[in-house]
Amino acid sequence: MSKKSDSKTEIAAGVSGQTQRLSLFGPPLLLEGEDAAAYDELVGRICAAIRPADVIYEMFIADIVALEWEVLRWRRLKSILMQEAWFKALENSLAGKLDYHLYSERVADRLTKILQDNLPEEHVNSAQTLVRDYARNKKHALDTINEVLAGINLNIGEIRYEAGADKAHELVQGYRRGEPEAVRLVDQLRTRAGVSMETFMPSAFREIIDDIERIDRLTAIAETRRNAALREIDRRHAVLGEALRHRMQQIEDDDFADGELVLEVPAAEGNAA
Amino acid sequence: MTSERKISANRANARASTGPQTTRGRTRAARNAVRHGLSLPVCSDRALSEEVETLAREIAGPDANAETQELARRVAEAQIDLRRVRYARHQFLSDTLSQQYYDSLANIRMKEKVLDAILRRNPLDISMETLKFMTSTPQGPDKLAKFLSGETKKLLAMDRYERRALSRRKFAVRAFDEARRRDCNN
Repeated sequence: MSKKSDSKTEIAAGVSGQTQRLSLFGPPLLLEGEDAAAYDELVGRICAAIRPADVIYEMFIADIVALEWEVLRWRRLKSILMQEAWFKALENSLAGKLDYHLYSERVADRLTKILQDNLPEEHVNSAQTLVRDYARNKKHALDTINEVLAGINLNIGEIRYEAGADKAHELVQGYRRGEPEAVRLVDQLRTRAGVSMETFMPSAFREIIDDIERIDRLTAIAETRRNAALREIDRRHAVLGEALRHRMQQIEDDDFADGELVLEVPAAEGNAA
Repeated sequence: MTSERKISANRANARASTGPQTTRGRTRAARNAVRHGLSLPVCSDRALSEEVETLAREIAGPDANAETQELARRVAEAQIDLRRVRYARHQFLSDTLSQQYYDSLANIRMKEKVLDAILRRNPLDISMETLKFMTSTPQGPDKLAKFLSGETKKLLAMDRYERRALSRRKFAVRAFDEARRRDCNN
């Protein structure tokens, strides 16, 4: 085995040992879906930086790890919520700006489905033909469809709005995944409407401002506690350093008192008795 | 003035109201006022007490004098208490998040209002947007955000316990370190 892989194995063994030691202070408090390996890595990195000298140091390290994990959790949550809100705002904005030809098929599909569910059984098969005729503004189709929709408290405007919203949702999902066609279309629609990416920020954050504030507060609490634990480690370093200095002084004094370290200066020739 | 008849009836009723009779009933009634148990001292739990003693021995180290042992025990007690509070908060969080249909109280109230409107004799038309709201529950990060907003009060209460435990531990560690320093100097 090479030297490099030897040292990697040592680090891994060290991390697992430290994780085991820290389990004295309870198991890692992970939520469903959180990465246990990433937590162990955090333990390893913090232990490597601090090098615990006794069990109280380990206690503070367990604290720092748990609090740092919490800080990361809340930051991640905030970032996801902000992203979601921004995409939602983009979706809402696009829903009203889409060209009808982009979602006309969806309107036809929805209308066909509604007709199939609500027409008398003998006319169910004519639902598609009716929708086609409706698109060509044929009077009998307009009358029949409007009658069916009125019977179920719906109007064509609502169906068009929902189909548009559906298409906008699909477009934004594609935009998130970086699909070139979706990106091109979204950018084109934005440019045409004269809105920049920043335009959505206020409307996006208005919805989640309370959540963000709450998460910021939790992050601040965890950061304050983590920093307090770090300060305690600093203080203990100083205390231990002082104790060590004192002990060294004591050892030197004891050695002098025993005469072990007293230098025997040879007498000068002329001064010899 | 209360009549003799009423007084004797009250006394007879009081004699009949002696609370739960079985051991199980009495155990359950003993926990009536307990919400999370975090206000109870760590020593009231035998398992936690043992953990305190084990940790205290580890902190004090071998050949520790009585004072150091006592100070180490205080550190251990605060540490175990801190762990208990954090674990309770974590349990509360993960239990709630694992509920499939969890929703915030505000949302539940809103849904009740909409349902009330729908179930009237002449119901209002409901839009697809409302229908979506009625049939959906928060998921993923949104669920965690709803949890934070819905359970703020309980989370704040738990946070107070954590703050107290941290404070007790800080002073206990300082007292322990001071005693150690004195020992070294002597």
